[in-house]
Amino acid sequence: MKGIRWVFGGLLLGAVVVGSSGPAAAQLDGSCHASGTWQNAGLTVDAAQVGDKAVTVPRSDTVHWEGSVAGPPGEHSGSIWIELPPPFGTVEIDSWGGNGVTTSNDGFEEYDLPSLVPAGVVFTVSGEHTDANGTCTGHVNFKIDGSAVSSPLTWVSLAGTAGTGAGMFFVLRPLFRRVG
Amino acid sequence: MNVGKIIGVAVLGFFFLLFVAIDLVLFGVIQLNSAVVTVLPLLGLVGGGALGAMAGKKGQPAG
Repeated sequence: MKGIRWVFGGLLLGAVVVGSSGPAAAQLDGSCHASGTWQNAGLTVDAAQVGDKAVTVPRSDTVHWEGSVAGPPGEHSGSIWIELPPPFGTVEIDSWGGNGVTTSNDGFEEYDLPSLVPAGVVFTVSGEHTDANGTCTGHVNFKIDGSAVSSPLTWVSLAGTAGTGAGMFFVLRPLFRRVG
Repeated sequence: MNVGKIIGVAVLGFFFLLFVAIDLVLFGVIQLNSAVVTVLPLLGLVGGGALGAMAGKKGQPAG
């Protein structure tokens, strides 16, 4: 998962050590900018423009990520994470911090997710960056391209549903029996 | 009242709706961070317990 960590890290607030930019939008609150371009898929995602729709990304690719903030950041810190269902909270993907004057950062990262990672699951990657200019937060919804049944996890879950559903039916059979 | 049956059906209900919630996530019907993923198994636990109690009563021989 090291690859994906950089992909989404760069995409959201990048190793946002910095940069300047544009107006805040629905998905980015604060003076910062974050974007990523999937080299093979030819897909570009700007966190400020993408809205709430889930961006479908390929299972493997190379991403050119860019991040920037409005002015010299000074003392800064930030992190990005995946949102889990309550009460599980979040899983941190990456964090950064330090002191500097550079306002932007970018890089390339190659990733290749194993087939065990299910396609079609809509997950939210959120991020926050705090520096001398203020705080910038944002999130982007992603899903991996492909069919849900391509992952063995999906079959395990479907088997679990069928097994426990059948168990429920047999245990609750007395409720469905006609009286008399 | 068969306490064992109530607990058994409650646990079964929990896992049944947990798997349903996971299916919904896997097929992209709900987001991974949706509260539905948390609520459904709890609903299964409570609903399963209630149904288990009803099934236990109905399954008892009359008299």
